[in-house]
Amino acid sequence: MKKAFKWSNLYLWFVFILLYLPIFFLIIYSFNAGDVMQGWDGFSLKHYVELFADTRIIEIVVNTFLIALLSSLLASILGTAGALYIYDQRNRLIKNIFLSLNNILLVSPDVIIGASFLILFTVVGFSLGFASVLLSHIAFSIPIVVLMVLPRLQEMNQSLVAAAKDLGANNWQMLSRVILPVISPGILAGFFMAFTYSLDDFAVTFFVTGNGFSTLSVEIYSRARQGVSLEINALSAMMFIVSLVLVLLYYVISTRSSKNKKRGTRLVTPATEGL
Amino acid sequence: MAEQTPIIEFKSVSLAYGDTEILKGIDLSLEQGKFYTLLGPSGSGKTTILNLISGQLAATSGDILFENKRINDVPVEKRTVNTVFQDYALFPNMNVFENVAFGPSIKKMSKTDIERQVHDMLKLVKLDQYADRDISELSGGQRQRVAIARALANDPKVLLLDEPLSALDYKLRKDMQYELREIQQRLGITFVFVTHDQEEALAMSDWIFVMNDGVIQQNGTPEDIYDEPINHFVADFIGESNIVDGIMKTDYVVHFVGKDFENVDAGMRPNERVEVVLRPEDLDLTTIENGKLIVTIDDQSFRGDYYEITAIDDDGNEWQVQATNSAQVGERVGLTFDPEDIHIMRFNESEDDFDARLESYEDDDEE
Repeated sequence: MKKAFKWSNLYLWFVFILLYLPIFFLIIYSFNAGDVMQGWDGFSLKHYVELFADTRIIEIVVNTFLIALLSSLLASILGTAGALYIYDQRNRLIKNIFLSLNNILLVSPDVIIGASFLILFTVVGFSLGFASVLLSHIAFSIPIVVLMVLPRLQEMNQSLVAAAKDLGANNWQMLSRVILPVISPGILAGFFMAFTYSLDDFAVTFFVTGNGFSTLSVEIYSRARQGVSLEINALSAMMFIVSLVLVLLYYVISTRSSKNKKRGTRLVTPATEGL
Repeated sequence: MAEQTPIIEFKSVSLAYGDTEILKGIDLSLEQGKFYTLLGPSGSGKTTILNLISGQLAATSGDILFENKRINDVPVEKRTVNTVFQDYALFPNMNVFENVAFGPSIKKMSKTDIERQVHDMLKLVKLDQYADRDISELSGGQRQRVAIARALANDPKVLLLDEPLSALDYKLRKDMQYELREIQQRLGITFVFVTHDQEEALAMSDWIFVMNDGVIQQNGTPEDIYDEPINHFVADFIGESNIVDGIMKTDYVVHFVGKDFENVDAGMRPNERVEVVLRPEDLDLTTIENGKLIVTIDDQSFRGDYYEITAIDDDGNEWQVQATNSAQVGERVGLTFDPEDIHIMRFNESEDDFDARLESYEDDDEE
């Protein structure tokens, strides 16, 4: 049977090619034996060798991932607490004020967030570097986590909370055994979102970094101004692979937890253990 | 009823949100080991009473006593009552075993005790083969059973059931009614069951509270409430009724649809205006000569074990009849009934007055 030709499919492929072509162009040239992106001089891994010899770049990569991991972890905790507060708030006005503040932070341009953080840090005399970057990353990640967690809370059956209380659970037991496990997919999604936002943030970091501390996006930007070395291409290729792995990881975790639910095996510790 | 200390008592309990009164001065008293039903239409306040007992809601005024101790300020988690929720509220992140074990594990029972308790409870609701199943794998009826087992696993002194059968299909509902009754009798604890289904209430309860508009309209055994409804609302809500206006001429003589009828009610003022209740199943079709009422058949439908007939008398009153024999639509027939089938309701009579009046003339009869 001959498959019918579909314009929509053609369009889809066109868009995908348009989106991914520059990335693949970059990756392919990371294997170029020459030093520029004009003309193919043969296959070589020399830019990768250069990359791994560049201790400053390695250090920056480690810093970037450390910032991303720490900021998204802390933002997940704080954001979940914030979402719980907004969810639990009975006063409509206060609830809406907090929600709006959260959303404004989410849509406001990075440049403004970055500039305001710079002003804040200078005014209070906070030295720029690792801590200032970490704090600002946590700050812009919290609204993302709140946005991912809040719908889960709102979808949650209200009577679950009533049932936990009815069965004798105190607030902490209710939270740890019922609410958190139920909203955990939202927290997980929030964590991954915050992680990727932190990884590729340029604007905010650019403002609040200093004293020699740098993250990848800022470093690549400053190097690119002096002409793009193919070492950057090698680095970008590696980063692309890492992103791909992250996406796959998220996919595997989320499908496995839903499969587990179906089979009846446990992701969470059985209620009889612990506590 | 033998006197015994009540397990739960309400003393003029009210609940209001701003100007909206949900409950208006409720007095009630529940004994140990009985099956109670709160029956009423939605918005009548029956679930509110349940939430006051469980502690999910707090009374605006009045005292709630549990074994003679005031519990108004005792938080939900400290009360020895448990609830079966209308939507079951099973924890989706836990399997059947873990759901039932939730209460016992909070109480820090030992692992072997928890296992035994969960096993006993699952056996009680006939789900002992399902301990490892996930909630999403269960049918509605099975979820219902898990919810019951989970609530009972805490060894409550009172089990509260909030319309637990409303989501089940007819056949399953019937089975569960029977089973719930059996579980209650086996455990000997107090059940407080909320429903809007009068059939369910009549079938299961030792004692029924009929609620409307935040007030207990009438309470009593299912027989009392069915046979002697106190007012128009109760008569209409419990089963099918024909209700017409009448005049109580003297004791044992009532006048309605233009005729005097002998009946068995007494203790009212001469010529008092009353409402007359005749249940459809107490009316029989007969010949015009033998009929106490002459009616024209308006509609008839077959219901399996009886014919549901709507008939209209010459004054335009509609009569519902449940007859074993069929009739022709448009046919004129007689309706007959016995004096004891006539039930008289006075306007605005309180439950206490109603009971006192019944007692006064029932004593007379025995003399």
